[in-house]
Amino acid sequence: MSTEYGAIIIFVLMILAIGLSFSIGANDETVAPLAAAGTIKFKLILILGGVAIAFGMIFLSEGVASLVGEKILGPGIKYTIFMLLSVLISSILWLVIGSFYGIPLSSTHSLIGSIFGVVIVYALFVGNVDPVTAFNQEKLMGVVISWFISPLAGLVVTYVLYKIIAKLFLSKLKGLNQIEKSESRFAWSLLLAVFFAEIWVGANSAEALGILYAMHSNGEISLGMYYLLVVICGIFAFLGLYIAGRYVVRNLASQLTDARPSDGFIIQLSSALILMVSTVIFSVPISHSHVIVFCIIGMNLAQKKEVDYRGLGKMFVFWVLTFPIAALFAGFLYFGFISFGLY
Amino acid sequence: MLEFDEDILKKKSIDELTHLFMDSINEQNLKLIEGIKYLIEEDFDNFQNNLNYVIQSNAEVQIKRRFEKKIFKSKKASFTKADRLKLFSEINAIKSKGEFLANKMLLYKVIFPDQEFKVRLEVILNSLKNISNNISDAVKLIGTDLIRAHDICEDIKEERREMRNSEWLLLTRLWNYDMDYLSRTFAYLKDLLEGIMMLADHIKNFSEYIQFLSTKYLIFK
Repeated sequence: MSTEYGAIIIFVLMILAIGLSFSIGANDETVAPLAAAGTIKFKLILILGGVAIAFGMIFLSEGVASLVGEKILGPGIKYTIFMLLSVLISSILWLVIGSFYGIPLSSTHSLIGSIFGVVIVYALFVGNVDPVTAFNQEKLMGVVISWFISPLAGLVVTYVLYKIIAKLFLSKLKGLNQIEKSESRFAWSLLLAVFFAEIWVGANSAEALGILYAMHSNGEISLGMYYLLVVICGIFAFLGLYIAGRYVVRNLASQLTDARPSDGFIIQLSSALILMVSTVIFSVPISHSHVIVFCIIGMNLAQKKEVDYRGLGKMFVFWVLTFPIAALFAGFLYFGFISFGLY
Repeated sequence: MLEFDEDILKKKSIDELTHLFMDSINEQNLKLIEGIKYLIEEDFDNFQNNLNYVIQSNAEVQIKRRFEKKIFKSKKASFTKADRLKLFSEINAIKSKGEFLANKMLLYKVIFPDQEFKVRLEVILNSLKNISNNISDAVKLIGTDLIRAHDICEDIKEERREMRNSEWLLLTRLWNYDMDYLSRTFAYLKDLLEGIMMLADHIKNFSEYIQFLSTKYLIFK
């Protein structure tokens, strides 16, 4: 394939990666409880959230990005630009379809599933490699196991944290005035927890940065170019939250006005801790939305409230289907490219 | 008519305005009950004065306006706003029902059928006075001690149960009088009893709402 077309594809990949960063910001609802609490002005919330997510992406994402972009692959296997293109198109397509049908899907699962699909096709039809050795099995299993452990960890951490805080503070409040005063203090703590959570949301966002790291790893872009693009992605994540994410945040915040800031603080802190551990210690990309859902379940269990197991069951089906469907999409796409001699 | 100093009202918190509102409404409620007692004693002048006080009193409108301004502007504690507003509207409903009853009672000067009827009616009125004072105490405890407020509301419900028995016995007695059922006396006494039941039922429902608030906001170890 000519250098010119190769350069165009690389440029397209960069644009898609930047666009993906924008959509990460646009779909992020981490700041919604803070908006519902009304502690600070809405614009300031968006700015702080955007700065935090950009910070996480720019300074703390390399571990997760390198796992997705290089370390998940087996020895001697490298991404080609058409593999990356298939991965991006497949994960974006699956997420768009999910949005149209109102199904909440994980972009992380979609990305890893797409990678799985293209690497299998590459191994079978291009590389003539055993599909098993095409992956770093340890890393891949680590990622898949983390998808089960991280939501459960979120549930347990939230449950325990709530019980501790309830015993030490909340159960001692007798009247509505005391409760309101205490919750207004928790609203400020919520600000810190949300900021902390946003940093790790950005740091764990492997979608765009993983693709860029892969391009750097196979020599398509220099290290300097990689870091420049990471900064641009961080800025676009900020812009995504500020320009488009405000509607998601406002919509969700209007449904959370009855929620107590202390509940939001516990949930955000728990999810932030899970994300931090996943990013810093294990460098695995996890689904923030799954962790949050299980943190909310943990909160409901701790408060002895009803849990919608039926709704959870439906969600679980789509969570499980995301990986194979994204893999099939991406596999077929890449197979299509191969058919035209585009490897 | 009583009027409040706007500057003093401005300085009061949402909780304090609720207490002031409750005091104002409870005072009118007690005036209404006292007025009906004057009617039993056939002291029609005081009966009229008391009921006119209930109808014409509008000092609570000032408090309501100040409360609404304060709560809608407040950015604090948005998670309790809906409940604070509902509390206020429940207190306001006591005023509305009391005013409605007062207007009806002023339509006619009734003479009670017999002493027994008067005695039983006084017992019911004393219970109404108790639950009216109790609900006022419960509302004022919401800010500081929801558990005590919950317990007071349990007492209100218990007293209401006993009141209901007395009310039905009195209604049965009324229906068994040798009386023309189309007469103004019959219609008046029937409306009086039903008006008292309606007001008492509202207070009972309000007490259940306060109990709901205690289960909603209190966290037990």
